Amino acid sequence: MINAMPVPPSPSPGLRIEGLSRRLGERTLLADLNLEVGPGECLALLGPSGCGKTTTLRLLAGLDAASAGRILLDGDDISRLSAGDRRVAMVFQSYALYPHLSVADNLALGLRIRGMAAREREERIMAVLELLQLVELRLRRPAQLSGGQRQRVALARALLRQPRLVLLDEPMSNLDAQLREELRPELRRLLCGGSQPVVYVTHDQQEAMGMADRIAVLREGRLQQIGSARELYEKPANRFVAAFLGRPAINLLPAEGQRQLGLRPEHLVPVETGGLAARLQQREWWGHQQLLWLESARGDLRMLVAADQPLPETLEVSWRPEHELWFDSHSGERLAAS
Amino acid sequence: MRSLLLLWSLAPLAWQLYTSFVTPEALIQGAGMAAGSFWTLENYRQVWLADPPIWRYLLNSAVVGAATTALTLALAVPCAYGLQRQGGRLRWAVTLTLLATAIFPTVLLFLALLQLARSLGLANNLLALSLPYAALCLPLAVLLLRAAFADLPPELEDAARLEGLNLARRLQHVLLPLLAPSLASTAILVFLFSWNEYPIALTWISRPELQTLPPAIARIAGSSLFTVPYGAFAAATVLGSLPLLLIVLIFQRSIVSGLTQGAIKG
Repeated sequence: MINAMPVPPSPSPGLRIEGLSRRLGERTLLADLNLEVGPGECLALLGPSGCGKTTTLRLLAGLDAASAGRILLDGDDISRLSAGDRRVAMVFQSYALYPHLSVADNLALGLRIRGMAAREREERIMAVLELLQLVELRLRRPAQLSGGQRQRVALARALLRQPRLVLLDEPMSNLDAQLREELRPELRRLLCGGSQPVVYVTHDQQEAMGMADRIAVLREGRLQQIGSARELYEKPANRFVAAFLGRPAINLLPAEGQRQLGLRPEHLVPVETGGLAARLQQREWWGHQQLLWLESARGDLRMLVAADQPLPETLEVSWRPEHELWFDSHSGERLAAS
Repeated sequence: MRSLLLLWSLAPLAWQLYTSFVTPEALIQGAGMAAGSFWTLENYRQVWLADPPIWRYLLNSAVVGAATTALTLALAVPCAYGLQRQGGRLRWAVTLTLLATAIFPTVLLFLALLQLARSLGLANNLLALSLPYAALCLPLAVLLLRAAFADLPPELEDAARLEGLNLARRLQHVLLPLLAPSLASTAILVFLFSWNEYPIALTWISRPELQTLPPAIARIAGSSLFTVPYGAFAAATVLGSLPLLLIVLIFQRSIVSGLTQGAIKG
């Protein structure tokens, strides 16, 4: 594992995960996860489906049992507590609103069960409803709300409990792209920078980069790398991280000595002479940029250039040496630049 | 096509209704009689004033039906929940066993049941009737409710768990309200079974004032050994169908309404 955290003296504020694993029979869903999320920090768990990110979230919430490992919240070991006793809030991908209850009753149920007095309950609910601009919708049922409104209700339910840890499981995947972009800053404003750590699961790298202070990339139950979006982009630990972050995806060219050369499409530039000769196969015009699909002696290339770049049939392509990313072609680990 | 189906299912009921309101002579000779001796309430008078009167049997049947339904649901809900949520590898084995018992021919059981009733002293006990009834209804009820639980998105329960609702509270506040349509339709099936059941009711209960409707109707006698009291049978059947109609009308809304709509996506 790359960028492993040094062990700080406990008790430490925030969330600390030690050796967390979950196995089901022969299958390992999560293997020996170690990481820390500070108070107010938003950590995105990023990876393809089946990588263990939702598993991690369910373990943190107490919905599933861990096979090994500890979860510390502000220094307290919460691994043995039941889901209801952890004071952990979770926003589900499906929002999981109670369809038979109004917005206000959806929020009230948990507080009522805890025996909170009616007056205090209503004050807290009103405060959260106002924060999320849901006051007018409080008597509606979930079926009468739009996707964005439902998501706000789910968020309200999570914030209402004044949780010690907030978990979000792909909270925007049911919304359309435009709404997602609009909601990102709002989510950040509401969730991040408070006292509680936030763990945000997504398979969308743009969302992870937009929402999170740090990103943990998972693959097949194993942590690949954890760091800021920029660290992951510029110094990916391995080929998987390099390919998963950045769109269009990185070009991987075979090189001598069992190595692969990784070049990001945005780092390729057309040159007059002295570059790699390439032939234009296809182009996608995106308005602000265009994506070129090139064929070269070293393999196919994707190249991102300005939208108004004139394009001959054949061209030469070059790049700056500092943009080269070298990988071991067997293990996929990144090698020191040569 | 639709009207044909309607005719198919409603015609027997209409004939029953007609039979219950005409004199035996009119039934045999058909139209062409004087109106005065054609339509009559005599059949209803006969079953209402009999000893014991028909409302007694209706009441008995209602008591047995309610007890059976309550018992069946009380047992089937936890069983279905457990099977669906915690079943693991045993789930399909148990489900198939349930299916096998659900299609087991009841007739083969009831001599043994009679023996059981005798040795346990359950004969001539109205409420005891609901024991075999519930046992017979249980497999079907569990299968129906298991499917209903399977249709509920599991995140709903996860969300409730995170809010600190224990299993009883989750059932009370989240799961059962959402299952209301399935619960209602299961309850009606169970109630119907109990309302219509004949052989066990006939053999377990011998005291007339404790009998349920089906054996009681079978006991209605004509004026002589050679007359069949069609009119009285029909009147009793009509009266016996009314409560069922009423129940279905009351629960219709909750059966039809799709309450889980909008739980996941719009």
